[in-house]
Amino acid sequence: MKDQERSATQLIEEQRATINELQTPVIEVWDGILALPIVGSVDTARAQDMNERLLDRIIQTRSEIVILDITAVPVVDTAVAKHLLETVSSARLLGAEVLIVGLSSKTAMTLVHLGLDLGGVITRTTLAKGLELAFERLGLRVVASESSRDGRQS
Amino acid sequence: MARVPIIRVGDILLATIQEDLHDSDALAMQEALTTQLERTGARGVLLDFTTVQTVDSFLGRMLNDVVAAIRLLGATTVVVGIQPAVAVTLVELGLELKGIQTALDAERGMRLLGMGIDTNRRHR
Repeated sequence: MKDQERSATQLIEEQRATINELQTPVIEVWDGILALPIVGSVDTARAQDMNERLLDRIIQTRSEIVILDITAVPVVDTAVAKHLLETVSSARLLGAEVLIVGLSSKTAMTLVHLGLDLGGVITRTTLAKGLELAFERLGLRVVASESSRDGRQS
Repeated sequence: MARVPIIRVGDILLATIQEDLHDSDALAMQEALTTQLERTGARGVLLDFTTVQTVDSFLGRMLNDVVAAIRLLGATTVVVGIQPAVAVTLVELGLELKGIQTALDAERGMRLLGMGIDTNRRHR
């Protein structure tokens, strides 16, 4: 009985670790650009873990821009906003610029009603727009290749 | 003599902050930086934090103060090489260095101060 209990606890621990791993992937989307797609709710422990991973990756990849994608965060309340702002501030201290993308109209209104204007943080509605801005900051431009341009015309 | 050497490179003063800086050393650095700035008329200051692994509230506040003083003297400060743990501590202390320019390393910091070494590659 004890053994069963122990293995069950162990299983839960393992699964929790797996979920934690899955929760916070830091993706290098381009040379110098990191993206952090946040899925689900953000609590203090998760925010800290996320922040640590992100900061380490910034150093590792020498990235200049970080895109925080909050598309899949269901509710952005004061606590979540505080965590986001802490991430923004600490990444900025390392010398990286942070863009928050994936704000829905609902999130925007919630933030405004809560009196949180995310002062000074650059925000965009979609990851694509954030990426476009990131490219611009790095002096890069995305252009269609000749063949695809021809294809579109015909 | 303070433990923080201040080197002048062109128009820029370069200060490399060593690990476990004592309060008195920090104050000495603050003093030395501002007096040198006044004397040389440098237009930029690069503070290198690469080797600093821990900060306390005193050092954090000193950093804010020295940057404010440098600004009053008409120069720009770029803080470079802040380590993740240091960044987290500073944010927790509420010392987010708002309005201070930061860069990942000295090279990029120099570029921010307009003293970029002309390399063909932007990264690495």
